[in-house]
Amino acid sequence: MYPQQVHKYLSVFFKETSCQILSNHPDYITVQLTIDMDKKIMNRPFYWRNIESTGGVPNPALLNLITDQNKLGADVKGEVVHFGSPRLNRLFQTTKELGAFVLMYERVLGKGEAQTILTPWLGVNYKVSYYSDQTMEMLYSFGINLITGIVREDFQESLHEVNLETYQSKHTFNLPFIIKPVRGLERLDKIIEQIIEQDDHLWAEEAKGRWQKDQDILEYFYEGMENKPECYEMEKQAMKEQYEARIKIEIINGGLFYMK
Amino acid sequence: MKIERSTEWKEGFMNRLDNVEPWNNWELYKMSYEVVKANIISDFSGLQSPKYLPNLTPLAHQLEAAETVIERMNGKAILADEVGLGKTIEAGLILKEYLIRGLVKKALILAPASLINQWVEELNYKFYIPAIPYRKNTPIEYYDIVVMSMDTAKRSPHRELIHAQNYDMIIIDEAHKLKNHKTQIYEFVQSLKKKFCLLLTATPVQNDVFELFYLISLLKPGHLGNLEAFQSSFSDSKHDDYLKELVKQVMVRNRRQNTGIEWTNRRVQIIPIEFSEEEKEVYDLIVDLKNISPVFSGAFSMITLQKEMCSSKEATYLTLNKMRQNCTNEEEIDHVETVIQKLMALEINSKVEKAYEIITEANDKVIIFTEYRATQAYLQWYLNTKGITSVLFNGKFSKSKRDWMKRLFQEQAQVLIATESGGEGINLQFCHHVINYDLPWNPMKLEQRIGRVHRLGQEYDVHIYNLAINNTIEQNILDFLYAKIDVFEKVVGELDDILSTF
Repeated sequence: MYPQQVHKYLSVFFKETSCQILSNHPDYITVQLTIDMDKKIMNRPFYWRNIESTGGVPNPALLNLITDQNKLGADVKGEVVHFGSPRLNRLFQTTKELGAFVLMYERVLGKGEAQTILTPWLGVNYKVSYYSDQTMEMLYSFGINLITGIVREDFQESLHEVNLETYQSKHTFNLPFIIKPVRGLERLDKIIEQIIEQDDHLWAEEAKGRWQKDQDILEYFYEGMENKPECYEMEKQAMKEQYEARIKIEIINGGLFYMK
Repeated sequence: MKIERSTEWKEGFMNRLDNVEPWNNWELYKMSYEVVKANIISDFSGLQSPKYLPNLTPLAHQLEAAETVIERMNGKAILADEVGLGKTIEAGLILKEYLIRGLVKKALILAPASLINQWVEELNYKFYIPAIPYRKNTPIEYYDIVVMSMDTAKRSPHRELIHAQNYDMIIIDEAHKLKNHKTQIYEFVQSLKKKFCLLLTATPVQNDVFELFYLISLLKPGHLGNLEAFQSSFSDSKHDDYLKELVKQVMVRNRRQNTGIEWTNRRVQIIPIEFSEEEKEVYDLIVDLKNISPVFSGAFSMITLQKEMCSSKEATYLTLNKMRQNCTNEEEIDHVETVIQKLMALEINSKVEKAYEIITEANDKVIIFTEYRATQAYLQWYLNTKGITSVLFNGKFSKSKRDWMKRLFQEQAQVLIATESGGEGINLQFCHHVINYDLPWNPMKLEQRIGRVHRLGQEYDVHIYNLAINNTIEQNILDFLYAKIDVFEKVVGELDDILSTF
């Protein structure tokens, strides 16, 4: 993320979370947090506990966030926010929490009395991580039609072309599910598992090879020792934690989409 | 294979379907997806960390070292760059990479007490790693990245506290302090679980190859075989090439020359000095003491006395006087008294005169390293009589006192007189002359001393003067140093000039 992208991100984030943006300069942004947002991103539980128990006047933070330090003079004071800064990570985390589940409808411009039929889709965005002593991550976005069971790849990207709203347009009719959303989710979960199953897991084999090699070295060190010391077991445990291949499936977010 | 998944999202989703909780914001939903997409780690190899670090421009050799450690050494390595090439930066890059990749959650950094604040600052400001310095009663279970002194860590109750944590990564700075496997700190580090581990030292071998054996056995037991196998294969130096190859598999060592950076030259020379007749006489009398009294028969104390005599009469007097008190025989006491009288009657110190000559010729800032506090004080007094300003420096100084002395040296005094322990963790690039007034037995100490000035940021050639008095123990020290440098170069690799430029 470049400074401009970070800046845009912050603008949208604070707008969407109802924090008042007091000034929005191209290279910095001043924002008055709401009480809710202060609790989420400022990491000061003691302050809030104290305010709440004493009934004090809450004073949520006013932040001056600098997005491009290089373009600013020394007179602007504030916190520099960049890709990788703890503050931005916190905001990413909050975004994830506040954007995990949606219910959206395709916008339909009503013409006469004719009803437009909307089909329910379940869209889910997955992150799959492969771990050993190394890592790799993959992002999958799938949508399943809850009437026909048809599955669409790159679902999230395909939504760019659809005009979505949080409320249902007039003169539209939602088809009831034939496949329950929870069953749909199970089907998508299955597909992810199949993808993983069919993937090339050379990485895991290689990690196992590295593990075996280290294990052999360790065995050699303690060879012929009757009562192996405690650190022998510990080294073995450390190797297991270091090299053992693991796969993690994580749902970033998902939702119901009624579309034409 | 183990697949980890959580039902958390499913439960939240069902709550929304049942209208128990409200649906979320569409803009934030899209942003969340975009953020994950931007942060995705799409390859097992390659470094992610640099793009997260706008305030740091790592040098090519530092990036390469980090990649090598992660991809070829599986995160267990000795970082043995020459002094001043940025081992801390390399360690920071590696730690950051593992943090980003989610492979490390908790890390412990052990460093000499004097370097703790420096570590904490660098990790926080350069790497955005929220490290905290460990103080008494720091609740370490609440902090993921802790920097602690080795001396603290090895003692109760701190060691038990550390054992109760589950650290994914251990980083040990100045790891040559672990060369002796019989020490408490060695045993402590051995008892730690080391999933990922970095040992930082510019001087992995100080005396003999066994130090390297113990260091590597800490990191990766068995890599050099067990002690028996190692002894029979490598102690006679016939297989040094093979050993060097094995060492290379777990050690990254960048040399100044290979960094692609223009380095200023090191001009190292041995300055031979002749004792005056009077000094020579006293020196010989001291050597002869072992024939006079059993108090002086111990090899160690004799060597100390000889070394001190090569340094200053002030240093010699302290030891000699103490030893005289151990003499019981009247005759012996008288003899030693005579020697002390002759010693104190000396009016000339040939070595200090030479040092003064060098300082005058340099006409610039100079650092003098001595092994003795008494000599340190004497040097300051002597230089003062010649109108040369100086400040003292030693390892016991607190951080603020060190900084203060450094500033005094930079802004006001011409000479900084440091004792050995003052060598670590102070950077004096503004100075280009180093006098090794006394020679240490350990060549790596010389390297550490020189590294204070010959490091990144030095703009001038650096002059090193090694003072050695002819026909004294200092000649033996020189021979010994050459032999040790030879061992180092055979198993670790070339060493920059520290004794003399050929």
